[in-house]
Amino acid sequence: MEEKVLEILKDLFELETVDETCSQETCEKWDSMAHLNLVVELESEFGISFEPEEIGEMQSYKDVIRILKSKIG
Amino acid sequence: MFVFRNNTVERFFPKDYTFSGYDDISFVPADVDGYVWFYQLPVKYDQDVLCSEIRGYAQKLAFVLAQVDAAKPFIVLTMDEGAYSVPFTSGTELMAAVSEYNNALVEAAGSHSNVKLLDIREFTRQYSEEEVFDWKFWFISQMGMNPKVTKPFMAWWLRKLDEIALKRKKCLVLDLDNTLWGGVLGEDGIEGIKLGGDYPGKAFHYWQEALLELSKTGVILTVCSKNNEADVLEAWEKNPFMVLKKDNFATWRINWTDKATNIKELAEELNIGLDSFVFVDDNPTERELIKQMLPMVEVPEFPVQPYELPVFFKDLVEKYFRVYSVTSEDKKKTEQYKANAQRAQAQRSFVDFDSFLESLDIRITIEAANEFNIPRIAQMTQKTNQFNLTTKRYTDADVRQFVEQGWKIWCISVADRFGDNGITGCIMVNPNDNLNENKGWGIDTMLLSCRILGKGIEVAFIKKILSLLKESGVETVRAEYLPTAKNAQVKDFYEKCGFTCEEEYADGRKSYSLDLNGADLSIKDYYHITVK
Repeated sequence: MEEKVLEILKDLFELETVDETCSQETCEKWDSMAHLNLVVELESEFGISFEPEEIGEMQSYKDVIRILKSKIG
Repeated sequence: MFVFRNNTVERFFPKDYTFSGYDDISFVPADVDGYVWFYQLPVKYDQDVLCSEIRGYAQKLAFVLAQVDAAKPFIVLTMDEGAYSVPFTSGTELMAAVSEYNNALVEAAGSHSNVKLLDIREFTRQYSEEEVFDWKFWFISQMGMNPKVTKPFMAWWLRKLDEIALKRKKCLVLDLDNTLWGGVLGEDGIEGIKLGGDYPGKAFHYWQEALLELSKTGVILTVCSKNNEADVLEAWEKNPFMVLKKDNFATWRINWTDKATNIKELAEELNIGLDSFVFVDDNPTERELIKQMLPMVEVPEFPVQPYELPVFFKDLVEKYFRVYSVTSEDKKKTEQYKANAQRAQAQRSFVDFDSFLESLDIRITIEAANEFNIPRIAQMTQKTNQFNLTTKRYTDADVRQFVEQGWKIWCISVADRFGDNGITGCIMVNPNDNLNENKGWGIDTMLLSCRILGKGIEVAFIKKILSLLKESGVETVRAEYLPTAKNAQVKDFYEKCGFTCEEEYADGRKSYSLDLNGADLSIKDYYHITVK
């Protein structure tokens, strides 16, 4: 799961390298439009639906992993 | 391409497209390849307001079209009245408003040769309502279409663009046996080929009728068949069900030479490029030959069953023979049409941008910071990135502290004919600002939501604030522009408002000052400003 998420982040934000520190703060391309695209990609990849509250909380790679784990274990 | 839109649609289009503000027709860029007009069904309950807004979109389109270079493609998408469904108490008013809007688009396409009409329903009707509209994404990001259909939409969009951009093919090369009739003429004879009557002859007859209609739109029909020419000429004359006969074909090659050579000869004879040819033949070997020998010729797969011919014909026309260019007959009709349409439009549209703004019935409310709006003000400083002059992020506590320290903080709410956007901007002025080593009143924060841009509200807002400051005795106001990756659009905002740029730094930072005594603080009265 972690690998897949990193891959998605790398693709969407057009990064050369990506690691666990990836967040809205460290990543310039992670703006509100990209965030939306991230949500849609994750929902499609993992077959789940995020609640608006979760979408708002997802500000970094770590947040994404945390939220994903809470939904699919 | 530049897209005029009322909702969030960026992810549905190629990355190099640029987008207008939301429902923003104040800026029409000139240096783009073409334009797209994509207005989706607005989401609101009040039927009167909803219908009025939809009708207003048609006027806006007319306004924009008048400013656009007539040589550049302008693609308009219809509005899907069934984009989302909600029980309405009065059903037909909405249907009428959307119909009117879509008819205005049809009119525009009919009277402007650069306007191409695309029916969004061609795409959306493939999906159920839940598949094509998602309330969650509407509420969090104002998306009028489910982001999950992005890939199919993008594919459909690019295909449509291809059709519009591609030269319409000029010539159809048709085989005869088992292509224009069932059976083989040389074996079955004139009466034995299947044409007309029962199946499959009935299917081939209908297919010939379709091709005849197509030829009337200017597509050249030719034949390339391995047969005895004399037999074919006789069949064309004698078979009672024959629709396409000798006179319907510009020329033909009916012989035993290979088809690649024949088609090359046809191109030369007709003086048409091979890339304008479409070759239709039931025989996969012949098709493969042409695909390899003449790759510029289009070679669609031919249906196995004659009952599939109508669908095949439809795809053929969609792909290769769409009519987008305007002929001289069309032009004549267009001239008459244009005159009528213009007259009708003059009655309906607004003359200039000022009248347009006036027609919106804009109501601005400016309110000083208080316990109720402070949380919203703080939130805006956290979230607003684009129209934000200094991008300083504050908490509720920060804002409260500033108020205590004597800062003047106001927020702005904007409403118009079509709805109320609520609090959508704020300004924070610090009496002890230390800008450029000058202590005095300085604008620490000035930001607005992109929802309300494009109507000059930002300038009206700041001028009103400056008036209020002047009334309370302030003489000079300073301000700053701190550049970020996202706020380039406000780089020259203060200049636009009459501020003098005192200093511009290497990093892009700018500092300003304004002498309120000499400043022009006039505001157009159609902004209807109330200060609470």
